Amino acid sequence: MTWQIPLLSGLVLFSILAILSKDLIKSAISLALASVLLGILFFQMNAPYAGVFEISVVAGLITVLFILTIALTKAEGDVRESRLARLAFPLFFVAFILIDILVMKGLLQKVPALPETAETGAFGDVLWKQRTFDLVGQLAVILAGVFSVLALFRKRDKDE
Amino acid sequence: MNSSWFVYMAFAAGLLFAGLYCLLTMKNVIKLFIGIEVISKGVSLALLATGFVKKNTLLAQCLVITFIVVEVSLVATALALIINIYRHTKSLDIRKLTKLKG
Repeated sequence: MTWQIPLLSGLVLFSILAILSKDLIKSAISLALASVLLGILFFQMNAPYAGVFEISVVAGLITVLFILTIALTKAEGDVRESRLARLAFPLFFVAFILIDILVMKGLLQKVPALPETAETGAFGDVLWKQRTFDLVGQLAVILAGVFSVLALFRKRDKDE
Repeated sequence: MNSSWFVYMAFAAGLLFAGLYCLLTMKNVIKLFIGIEVISKGVSLALLATGFVKKNTLLAQCLVITFIVVEVSLVATALALIINIYRHTKSLDIRKLTKLKG
């Protein structure tokens, strides 16, 4: 557990930095750093496939999309965020964490979770044989995403 | 239940709270979307940590990968929407989206 606490703290810190930073580019880069830390955590938890996906897709692709959008909109400083919300965040956050620590310990014992049984087989077996329906869902979601982006960026016809 | 699950869940709850706070208080559309991304990080951490603690890492990995794919689709669609909103209103302020005029 010793190596996980700094990684988890870094993940939360970079996420908070992404939320509170005034500059949108800095926010996007902080989010990418948080994703990299989460990916390293996944590797440490013996989940290399999830780690690879997290680092390559979330830290890479999504950050590129974010920076592209920020560059296309060029509206930095356009929206004034309330200073009070930014200043009050640490107070609310500490209060939430305290309540969370007090409540969650009792709650986690009551919540039914997966049975604690050791798994057998390889990752591919679980993904392709046990979770086949998820893959169909993934395909549907990817297609829906592609069609929605195409629909949003289509050129208007002259008669419209 | 062991203590490491509790620690992971506490950090995941912290991420969730930070994202929700961002959604409730910020006005920039891109900032709101960054809040959604932070929430999604908390969810994927909670999923994989539960799998890791319960020794079901393979199943948790499958769920996390599915979640990441859904997240990417969501990001692509939402950012396309944000660009269209900017073209329409010339601003990223969420308060200017209160009127549903064409």
